[in-house]
Amino acid sequence: MDWPFRSVLVANRGEIAVRIVRTVQRLGLRAVVVHHEIDAGSLAVARADEAIEIEGATPVAAYLDAAQIVAAAVTAGAGAVHPGYGFLSENAAFARACADAGLVFIGPAPDVIERMGNKITARGIVAAGGFPVAPSAIESDDPSTFAARAGRIGFPLLLKPASGGGGKGMHVVREASLLPAATLRARSEGQRYFGDGSLYAERFVENPRHIEVQVLGDHHGNLVHLFERECSVQRRFQKIVEETPSPALGAELRNDICAAAAGIARRAGYTNAGTVEFIQGGGEFFFLEMNTRLQVEHPVTEELLGIDLVEQQLRIAAGERLAFAQADLQPRGHAFEFRICAEDPARGYLPTTGRVLALQEPSGAGVRVDSGIAAGQTVTAAFDPLLAKLVVSGETRIEAIARARQALHDYVLLGCKTNIGFLHRLTSHPAFVAGEIHTGFLDADPDVAGEPPLDEPSLNALLAAAARASRPLRDAADAVPSLHAAIGAWHN
Amino acid sequence: MGHALLLGGQLHEVWLSRSEGGGYDVHLGGKVIGDHGRAVAVAVSGDDVHLHLDGETHVICFVDALERHAAAASEEGGAVARAPMPGNVIAVSVAAGDAVRRGQPLLVIESMKMETTITAPCDGRVQDVHVTVGRTFERDAVLVTLEVEAA
Repeated sequence: MDWPFRSVLVANRGEIAVRIVRTVQRLGLRAVVVHHEIDAGSLAVARADEAIEIEGATPVAAYLDAAQIVAAAVTAGAGAVHPGYGFLSENAAFARACADAGLVFIGPAPDVIERMGNKITARGIVAAGGFPVAPSAIESDDPSTFAARAGRIGFPLLLKPASGGGGKGMHVVREASLLPAATLRARSEGQRYFGDGSLYAERFVENPRHIEVQVLGDHHGNLVHLFERECSVQRRFQKIVEETPSPALGAELRNDICAAAAGIARRAGYTNAGTVEFIQGGGEFFFLEMNTRLQVEHPVTEELLGIDLVEQQLRIAAGERLAFAQADLQPRGHAFEFRICAEDPARGYLPTTGRVLALQEPSGAGVRVDSGIAAGQTVTAAFDPLLAKLVVSGETRIEAIARARQALHDYVLLGCKTNIGFLHRLTSHPAFVAGEIHTGFLDADPDVAGEPPLDEPSLNALLAAAARASRPLRDAADAVPSLHAAIGAWHN
Repeated sequence: MGHALLLGGQLHEVWLSRSEGGGYDVHLGGKVIGDHGRAVAVAVSGDDVHLHLDGETHVICFVDALERHAAAASEEGGAVARAPMPGNVIAVSVAAGDAVRRGQPLLVIESMKMETTITAPCDGRVQDVHVTVGRTFERDAVLVTLEVEAA
């Protein structure tokens, strides 16, 4: 194909920069990365055809500096910019700055990023299209009718301070008779925490599942969905395991939710890759938000459909038509993604740091590792703790779980504590195996993250290996024979 | 007191002897122990030995005989508040000389946009605050030392 750009700048770091570079190079294009000096020894810099250093007050600030990154792209002669996820990926001003500099931004149009990136505007667009949003009532719209409007949402409902956040002042109201008392309490808490006693009520979904749908749209009016991903295994509202297909959906609900996602994206005038997120429970689903970018968990979709989403993003940005219609997309098998993070699950998932002393990534049938690290690299507290992603697929969910268990068992990363051991244990947890984990599961049961006690054979195996590896212990043993030899000589 | 290996807060007195085959035998509590052919991946960094066994990782720390004596002496009559994770200091709420109760906040630290309050491990008097606002530190760094009054 004749590309309108020959060179793509990746405005990101870590595993996603490595992953984008891989596809860019496979397509015969040149890959340029920007990097803060702290990442000079990273895998992304090593793999790229060119790496340009950027500066910032903090390492994160460098990757958020739109003007500096656009200037780097121009200097490097790049024709397009891929923002990855996080950092500037959903920043409409950055997308505009790219266009103004004559660079193709790999993503939707800036005004679409703006409209769908704002939760309130997006909700309005979705509701206006007749798609499901969680029923809600805003007190300040008309305080005199708030109680009646809240009651009409249905129970259980969630009552929260309108200007709230962080879970403060939130109350689950299970029946109508409890609404007046809960209203008084939430109002007084809202006043105390946020200096504003006005309230907001919405439908409360019990044990909710997080379901999201991948979409792709070209610049010729074609838009398809690429089925769902379920991301209900979360800690502190952050995903750690994703899978597709979702074990929570039957055929009918899957059809409805995927069709709704495509409809929402079409209505938004969406182009390139995006994800429509829903909350699902009790046979209902509601629009949550749209991510106007590539997502961390995109590989599970790639594994089931045999489609490289980064390649699709580049082709769409280059003005190509989608090479497939909705009916051509037939997912096959089951896939999981496990986020390998520098954190200690047994200590409240606190972030960890350290130098990667040894690294042996698993491989084999159905096993893919999207890694951002190399042995010898230092993991710092400067960035998000995501180090790599283990993606495992199989013909069935059972086969995929078995492969995941083996791959996590074989995954050796020493020098920086990670969640690999925890993920390995999670693959044997009855709720995980049954596909019954809801978004609050891990936070509600911190014991799941606890490390099991060592049995004696394991303890001995560890102590024996550590003793042999310990120089002072070897030195002490080595000193003994020479002493014996000296005594022996004296006797003779 | 000989050399020891520290694993999970527990000290294990382990020693090596040269074996017939040119390797080492590992001794623990009067017995020779081994790994019975199980695959253990090992990486050494200073006094720390990082190990991988059956999908789990562990860190075993070598403790020198002399240091063990020194540590035993210093733990008497004192207590320390250590960093549970690497990060930087956001706020310090005590100063040297302050009397503190067990559980009282000493300082607030931040790591990857997460705030954690460090509290006093016991009743006592602040001997020294080893960090200031904005300072970064590694995990297990000593943040505050306390003087514990004799009962």
